[in-house]
Amino acid sequence: MIELKNIYKAYNLSGIHKQIFEGLNFKFSPDRNYALLGSNGVGKSTLLRLIAGAESPDHGKVIRKGKVSWPMGFSGGFNGSMTGIENLKFVARIYGKDPNAIIDSVNEFSELGNSMKLPIKTYSSGMRARLAFGLSLAIDFDCYLVDEVIAVGDSSFQKKSKKAFQEKFDKSFLIMASHSADIMKDYCDCGLLLDDNGVHFYDTIESMLEAYQKNK
Amino acid sequence: MNSFKQRIEAFKEVLSALKIKSRVIFALVLRETRTTFGNSSLGYVWAILTPAIGVALLVVIFAFASRQPPFGQSLALFFATGFLSYEYYNKLANSLMTVIDANKALLLYPVVTPTAAICARFILISITYLLIMFIFYGTLVLFGLADLPAYPIQLLWAFFTIGLLGLGVGVFNCSMIIFWDSWRQIFQIINRPLFFISGIFFIPSLLPERALGFLKWNPVLHLIEWVRTSYYPNYDSRVLDKIYVLSIAFILIALGLLGERYFRNKRS
Repeated sequence: MIELKNIYKAYNLSGIHKQIFEGLNFKFSPDRNYALLGSNGVGKSTLLRLIAGAESPDHGKVIRKGKVSWPMGFSGGFNGSMTGIENLKFVARIYGKDPNAIIDSVNEFSELGNSMKLPIKTYSSGMRARLAFGLSLAIDFDCYLVDEVIAVGDSSFQKKSKKAFQEKFDKSFLIMASHSADIMKDYCDCGLLLDDNGVHFYDTIESMLEAYQKNK
Repeated sequence: MNSFKQRIEAFKEVLSALKIKSRVIFALVLRETRTTFGNSSLGYVWAILTPAIGVALLVVIFAFASRQPPFGQSLALFFATGFLSYEYYNKLANSLMTVIDANKALLLYPVVTPTAAICARFILISITYLLIMFIFYGTLVLFGLADLPAYPIQLLWAFFTIGLLGLGVGVFNCSMIIFWDSWRQIFQIINRPLFFISGIFFIPSLLPERALGFLKWNPVLHLIEWVRTSYYPNYDSRVLDKIYVLSIAFILIALGLLGERYFRNKRS
């Protein structure tokens, strides 16, 4: 369970003030999978970072019960000059896992093989995403936060990742920012629509997509 | 009974938070070692050799200029007590300034906090410099160029205080550049003269009163005096004020940590 209590968040960059959230209240139930939808810059990634705890709200409180992942995405979290294995070891250590077990499990899932011994900067974005995705699956979280990364690789790899995620859903749930209707329907059963007026909950993905189209 | 149970629970929570913190700091230290010194052990050898070569160069230059060390029998020991102490401070002050920038990508992981990144870098630099000093002084003693330190416990305290001041200036810098980027350059302008006015090359107590009244505001000068009064059996300092340098260190640490906390959400 994750609860957002009266969240305020604003950014001040080079003199420009942007209020992202104003008194946001919401309760995520572990029985459902949530999609986050909204145009660019409306605060999807910020919301994920707030939920993860990578950023703190200006006011208000985020209450987390259970282990929450970091927001998985294409960028960040990996050091380009370090090899895949070294990066995995680091994350395994900070989460208190056995590095070798994590490496084995990621290796099996990501099918990166010998590339794991190369610096990450030599990876394609697909390979990077496979690594990130495999890593977060190797560590057991109660809540997975995903930032538009899930559909990576060829179709067989997509099938594999979907299956792996579905196996996780008995014990854990998902909050995912995405732009793709298909992916949202595949993984999520309800959604939050973010726009300039705030955050709105929709009980089905279809109703959210409809409202999103209408607003446009 | 209930409140006792609650207290145990609270204690357990603190313990597990500490456990996570130390786990994260340890992982960061390993990672920093890898990223700063490169893949080979040669990187670490260089890190240790560079300050040693610096002292050796000073010794050679001054041996040509005048044969007599400013104090004691050994030119090398005199410069080592000054230069290595200054370098340790300087390394901390500069590297901690950029620690948040350097670890920005990692702050994505909620368990990695800015304070953990600061701690990790502080620990790695401190271990490196303790090793440098141990090897350098050890070599001098081994070759008969210096005696063993006269007051070893005091010497350890002096090193510890260098670490504190370096940490203080470093975290202060770190929070300053979050809201004012030009501080990087301004700090360099303020910090650079310290190489010449901290007593690496001279004995502060022999300076005229007027110069001393001005120079004794420099905390690094006190650190070097502290190291020398601890190493030499008969080095008298009329400047050294331990309370002064400790207070500066603690005030800067407090300001730096508070600033980091306050400006945390302001950084881009």
